[in-house]
Amino acid sequence: MTISSAATVERASPPPGPPIALVDLLDRLLGTGVVLSGDILISLSGVDLVEVRLRALIRTVRDEGDRS
Amino acid sequence: MAEQTAQQTTGAPAETPASRGRYLYAVSRGLDLDALGGLLGLGDADVEAVEVDGLVGLVSSVDLDEYGEEGLRHNLERLDWLETAARGHDAVVQAAAAVAPTAPMRLATVFRDDDGVRRTLAEQHDRISAVLDRVEGHEEWSVKVLTRTHDEPPTTPASSGAEYLRRRQEARQARDDDQRDAHVAAEQVHDALVGLAAASRRLPPQDPRLTGHAGTMVHNVAYLVPRDLSDAFAAAVGDLTGDHREVLIDARGPWPPYSFAILEEP
Repeated sequence: MTISSAATVERASPPPGPPIALVDLLDRLLGTGVVLSGDILISLSGVDLVEVRLRALIRTVRDEGDRS
Repeated sequence: MAEQTAQQTTGAPAETPASRGRYLYAVSRGLDLDALGGLLGLGDADVEAVEVDGLVGLVSSVDLDEYGEEGLRHNLERLDWLETAARGHDAVVQAAAAVAPTAPMRLATVFRDDDGVRRTLAEQHDRISAVLDRVEGHEEWSVKVLTRTHDEPPTTPASSGAEYLRRRQEARQARDDDQRDAHVAAEQVHDALVGLAAASRRLPPQDPRLTGHAGTMVHNVAYLVPRDLSDAFAAAVGDLTGDHREVLIDARGPWPPYSFAILEEP
């Protein structure tokens, strides 16, 4: 699987810090960050997200392994 | 949803049609949108500000086919989508955190419209302010400690069953020793760094299939470090790396304070 990056966003404004590894970023974006309740349409919460992340990532790693 | 559709058919052009939502990236304090220099968000949409009493919510419009409950369930399983969303979210958070105290939101926090954002920011004003107080002037560092793997090449085949078992037992013993050494080292690393941090937070160890390291992760901790101690923190990590050759120390940062943007229970 080729991973397309959000190049458009980064081109518009390069992040000032060093890029965060995807696994670290997803740990944070799916595991922490402010979770609001109230007037909201969609809000991800719960540990199931960590599972989502792991499933998606591991499946990809495995696919790449199978191909090589 | 039925209500929304009904509203639309009345023909009044809503500010945000039912098929679009407002994606909230982060809430900053006293941020001037111009300081972000025309930053684009997910799907190259303009990032806009929703202000409530000093709090500035950074939002952009997203398609609910993509970010609604249904679409999200499907998209979260696609790594390419997930990476694009995460990188886009992170770009806005990084830009905001560079210029103002910023509390990043959980990925995919989506409102029906700006009024929804406004009401929630008003309701949660004090709790969000408390998060901003905690993270203001601070950055996040990630420090991981992993066992080093022995790269003993498999030598000659075992000459007997007993020899084979002995080798296996030795290998297992070596692994146990590595783990124990790594835990001891991790404790020393933590003791040395926690003094430079305002807070720390343990994260679950990452799966070796994802880290690219063969070793076992025994320490995955986020540190909230005052910006003026950033250099001291980096220097301390450098010293620790020299002192603990028996393990692999992987330190990254500074990042926006993602791991510390968590609302306290009311």
